[in-house]
Amino acid sequence: MSNNTLPDLTMVEAVNLAMAHEMRKDENVVILGEDVGTNGGVFRATDGLKAEFGLRRVMDTPLAETLIAGVTVGMATQGLRPIAEIQFMGFIFAAMEHIICHAARMRNRTRGRLSCPMVLRAPYGGGIHAPEHHSESTEALFAHTAGLRVVVPSSPKRAYGLLLAAIRDPDPVIFLEPKRIYRISKQTIEDNGEALPLDVCFTLREGEDITLISWGAMILETLQAANKLAESGISAEVIDVATISPLDMDTILSSVKKTGRCVIIHEAAKNCGVGAEISAQIAERALLSLQAPIKRVCGYDTIMPYFRNESYYMPSANDILLAATETLNYE
Amino acid sequence: MKYFKLPDLGEGLQEAEIVEWHVKPGESIKTDELMVSVETAKAIVEVPSPQDGIIHTLFGDEGDIIHVGEPLVEFAGEEQEDTGTVVGKVETHHGSDISDDDFIIGASSGRTHASKRCTPAVRALAKRMQIDLNTIQSSGDHGLITAEDVEHAAQLHDEKGPLIKLRGVRRSMAKNMARAHAEVVQVAIFDDVDVHEWVEGNDPTMRLVRAIAVACKAEPFLNAWYDGKTMALRPLKTIDLGIAVDTPDGLFVPVLRDIGNRPIENLREGLDNLRAAVRSRAIPPSELINPGITLSNFGTIVGKYANPVVVPPTVCIIGSGAIREVVTAVNGSVQVRRIIPISLSFDHRPITGGEAARFFSAFQDDLKLPK
Repeated sequence: MSNNTLPDLTMVEAVNLAMAHEMRKDENVVILGEDVGTNGGVFRATDGLKAEFGLRRVMDTPLAETLIAGVTVGMATQGLRPIAEIQFMGFIFAAMEHIICHAARMRNRTRGRLSCPMVLRAPYGGGIHAPEHHSESTEALFAHTAGLRVVVPSSPKRAYGLLLAAIRDPDPVIFLEPKRIYRISKQTIEDNGEALPLDVCFTLREGEDITLISWGAMILETLQAANKLAESGISAEVIDVATISPLDMDTILSSVKKTGRCVIIHEAAKNCGVGAEISAQIAERALLSLQAPIKRVCGYDTIMPYFRNESYYMPSANDILLAATETLNYE
Repeated sequence: MKYFKLPDLGEGLQEAEIVEWHVKPGESIKTDELMVSVETAKAIVEVPSPQDGIIHTLFGDEGDIIHVGEPLVEFAGEEQEDTGTVVGKVETHHGSDISDDDFIIGASSGRTHASKRCTPAVRALAKRMQIDLNTIQSSGDHGLITAEDVEHAAQLHDEKGPLIKLRGVRRSMAKNMARAHAEVVQVAIFDDVDVHEWVEGNDPTMRLVRAIAVACKAEPFLNAWYDGKTMALRPLKTIDLGIAVDTPDGLFVPVLRDIGNRPIENLREGLDNLRAAVRSRAIPPSELINPGITLSNFGTIVGKYANPVVVPPTVCIIGSGAIREVVTAVNGSVQVRRIIPISLSFDHRPITGGEAARFFSAFQDDLKLPK
C-alpha cells in the first residue's frame, strides 16, 4: 500500500484493515470462523489475512457455531485475543449458550480472575435479498444481556475505529456489521491504529428542530431523510448510536432536550427493540423537554419476510420523513 | 458472466423443457444469437445468448426440465466474478450524495436552542389557553414552566392584550439596532440649511442625494466601512446610498448605487424603481445590501431633528426633517426663510468631529445652491 495516497475503502475493507492492523501489532490476536481462512470470508472480510498471518492465526473451523464460540471463550480466558466470525447473524443462536452463559459473565463469575477479551463479528441485517434467517436484526437479544458490549458501525471510518477498540477491549464485544452497507460507499482511511471510543454516540449532523436516532445500515436512510428535511428548512440532528449497549444516554438526552422532538429508527422489530429502551429513558429523563411524543420507525413484529417482500419490511427514507413530519407537526 | 441461468420466462412459469440446443460446447456465439429453444407450459420460447463468448458446457440434454435460476450454459475462460457474498446481493454504489466523513464524537456543542421545559399537562394547558410557551417567564426549578405561569400569562393576555412576536423585517431591524447601539459610539450634529434661494422645480430628495455625493467627495472617510474588531477603516470607491423606506411591514433600506457618477434624472428613476419594488415586496436581496452611507428622509412625514442610528459597518447617516419657514436673522434683519433641518450622526470611533463637521459643511454648501 502506498504511503503517499490514502486508500478509499468500503466498510468491509475497513474491517479487514482494522484486523490486519491489530494482528501485526499484537501476536495474540487470532481469527477463527467458517471460510475465514482460505476463502477469505464469504463477504471477504478476512481476505488475504491467512496468507499474511498463517493458518495458526487465521483458522477455518467446521460449520459449528457452538464450537466456534466455545473455543473462542477458551482462547480469550487463556490469554489470546480471538476474533470469531459468525458467517451470518442468523447462525448465532447455536453460539448463544457460550456467549451468554460464559463470555458475558466470565469476569463476574471468577470475581475478576479471568476475563474474556474476545470479539464476535457477525454480518447482520436485511436488504441484500438473502433468505430470511440471513436477514434479521436481533441485536436486542445481546443488548439485553449484561456483560456484553454491542457495537454496530455505520461507515467505513467508524468500522475501522470501532473494531480496533473492540479488539483492544478487555471484555467481550459483539460486533455487528450491517452487510447491506458493506460496499455501498467508500471513505478515505488512514491506517493509523486510532480507535474510536466504545461508549459514545456519534453526532453525524447538528440540528435544532428534531433529533433522528439510529444505527447501522439505517443511518443511510436517516441521513437521506435529514437531507430532505433540510430542503424544507428543517434542521435535524442525526445521532448514530453505534454502541447500542451500554447506551450513551448523555448524548441522546442532550440532543433531545435541545430539539424537544425525536424519532428513533431501527431495522429490527419494534417490540422490545433497542428503540424501546432509548424511548423509555428519554421519557424517564427528558419528559419535560419533549414537545411531541417519541416516534419509532422500525421493522414489523413478524418473521423477516422472504426477499420478494423484503422492501416492505425495511424502513425507508420516506417512512422516516413521514414520522418526522408528524412529530414536527404535533401541537 | 461465467454461468448463464434460465431467465424468468414470464407469467410465473418456474420451469421449462429443453427442446433443442442451437450451440455445442466449443462453439462461439454472439450476443442475441439463438442459443436454445425451451418449451414451457404455454409455448416454445427461443432463448438468445446474453453475450459474445465460447460455450464451455451445456447443462442438460434435450428433453430435460430446467428450473428458473438454474444454469443453462457455462462460458469458457471467464472467471466467476466475486460478488462478495454467498447469498443475495451486496449493493455497491459509489458517489452517493450522503456523506458523513465528518462527525462529532458524542454530543454537538450547540445547546442554545434548548426547548422550554414543562410537563405534558402544562404544555396541553398552554395550548388550550393559546399561550406561546416561549413567551412565558418560568418560576419552577431550573426554568420549569408551571401551570401557574401559564395561567398568569393567560391573565395578562386577557387584561393587557396579546403579545406579538417580531418577525421578518421588523425582527431583523430589532437585531441590527440593538447591535448598532451596543457597538457604535455615536455623535450627532444638527443644523438648519437655508434653501430659500432654491428656484422652482427643485426635487428635495434629489438635492439631498446630490449634496451627500458632494460631501462624500470632500470627506471620503464618511463614506466608509469600519470593522471595530480589527480596527480597520475601508473608505469606499463608489458612493452607494442607502435610503430608508417606511412600509407597513417595517423598515427597508434599498441602496441607490454610485450616486457620485450618475445624472440626477437617472438617480430619480432608480429611486422610484427601488421604492416601488420595496412596496410590492419584489425587491431582490442584492438591492438591500452594502450601503456606504445612509439617508433617512423622515421629514416627508413630520419632524425637525432626530438622532438616526449609524448601522455598522457604515459610519454615517443623514436625517432630513420637513422643509418649513422660520423667522431668522439675515445680515442684521429679521426675515422669513425656508429651511431644511438636517441631522448628521457619525461613528466617533473612526471618524473625528472635524471630519464630520467639514463633511456637513460641504453638504450644506451644495444644498443651499439655487439649483
